[in-house]
Amino acid sequence: MHSEDTAAGERTAASIVVEDASKVIDGVTVLDSVSFVALPGRVTAFVGPNGAGKTTTLRAILGIDRLTSGRATIGGRPFAEHRRPVQVAGASLTADGAHPRRSARGHLRVVAASNGLPDTAVDAALDLVGIAEIADLPVGQMSLGMRQRLALGSALIGDPAVLILDEPHNGLDAGAIRWLRVVLRQLADGGRTVLVSTHLMTEIEAVCDDVVVIDQGRVVMAGSLGHFIGGASMEERYLDMVERG
Amino acid sequence: MRLAWRAELLKIATVRGQWLGAAIATLALPAISLLVAATGGVGAGDTVTSGAATGSVAGLLAFGVWAATLAAGEYAQQTMIVSLTTVPRRSVLYGAKLAAIGCVAVVGALVSVVTAWLVVWAVLPSGVHHLGDPAALVSVVFAISAVSVLGMAVGLMTRSPSASASIVVVAVLLPKAAGGLLGGLQRWVVGASPGTVVTQAVGGAQLPHNQMFPGGAAAATVTMLLVATVVAVGGAVTLVRRDG
Repeated sequence: MHSEDTAAGERTAASIVVEDASKVIDGVTVLDSVSFVALPGRVTAFVGPNGAGKTTTLRAILGIDRLTSGRATIGGRPFAEHRRPVQVAGASLTADGAHPRRSARGHLRVVAASNGLPDTAVDAALDLVGIAEIADLPVGQMSLGMRQRLALGSALIGDPAVLILDEPHNGLDAGAIRWLRVVLRQLADGGRTVLVSTHLMTEIEAVCDDVVVIDQGRVVMAGSLGHFIGGASMEERYLDMVERG
Repeated sequence: MRLAWRAELLKIATVRGQWLGAAIATLALPAISLLVAATGGVGAGDTVTSGAATGSVAGLLAFGVWAATLAAGEYAQQTMIVSLTTVPRRSVLYGAKLAAIGCVAVVGALVSVVTAWLVVWAVLPSGVHHLGDPAALVSVVFAISAVSVLGMAVGLMTRSPSASASIVVVAVLLPKAAGGLLGGLQRWVVGASPGTVVTQAVGGAQLPHNQMFPGGAAAATVTMLLVATVVAVGGAVTLVRRDG
């Protein structure tokens, strides 16, 4: 595990902390005093209906979107203040973040170069996400599932302490979903903080430790998965909370 | 900043259309100058240097549009999300983009003017035209750099490749085309526009007095660079303040 603040090989655990985060766009409140914590060593599911504010929150944590008020930090600091951001937090917010005419290898080389990572990190990331065989294909010729793997490779290339994934299951086949489940579990067991937004309730039950439910820009529940479902199914509890109020 | 700059250069190098665009932009100026020289378009009063600069507007347009589409393309292709998650400090990202596009533009412009001067010198009948002052062609390098920076900044402001390319074309061509409408401002606006700056510096085709910048070619060049700097600052402010 890399860390910008410690010697090589020494891991710095980093939490994601969102405090009283609000965002107003054109007079519409899209985030309303959102607060939650994602902890090291745990996979935190970030769930909610479409338009609930999940992606906006993830973008705010990464500094892509500005908060109107409140604060979002990774490892105690706003993400942009880290010197080697890719080694602090890896993010996959879209499967279409790579230029369609650039090869997968070229895309990862750009990401690696931006943070001073060696080319060996590119090869390692390609191997890790299982696309080494097609690494020289233009991204535009890759399937959605392969592009999703590439996005994950981009997030993991710096061996970050924190992983932020927005609907990473989109486009993945059954085998890849199982593979992702194993990877997320291993990353969390290795001490990393994993925050994943998904609509797949079965995957949340299978891999997540904690759940944050957001609806209409407000966090309506944040806590451990066991506490949340309390013997029922995730889908049942979630729909009960979100759709029936 | 150095790492981000390297990554920006690598972005250009790893997409064929992007480096090919820069290569074509580099060839645009000497190709047009060659065409003009080979078809007898260089007048008796022109020098080899002013003949070499006849393709300047093509070079300005090509580099400006290349820079604009490159920058705006980050939004059109959604690659800006990855750029902002790997280099989240926006001032660094902007500086890296500016440095990378500026480097390519400066190197490309230098290659352009040297090539143009050599091919025009080779094509024109010997002994008929004076060589002129080849050092004056540095104004072409300044003009191409300024238009490239403007293109990049406008690309990041509009986030639209077509809109930013259109603005570059207008910025290069409109001042001279619509100069008559500017009244007393014509000398200031047209005189400091990139194409006219080059013409004044190389001393080629005679410009009407009302299109000559007050204070001469050097002042015109400085004014053009100042305008490009102001637009670049506008681009930086936009990138820093707006949501990604």
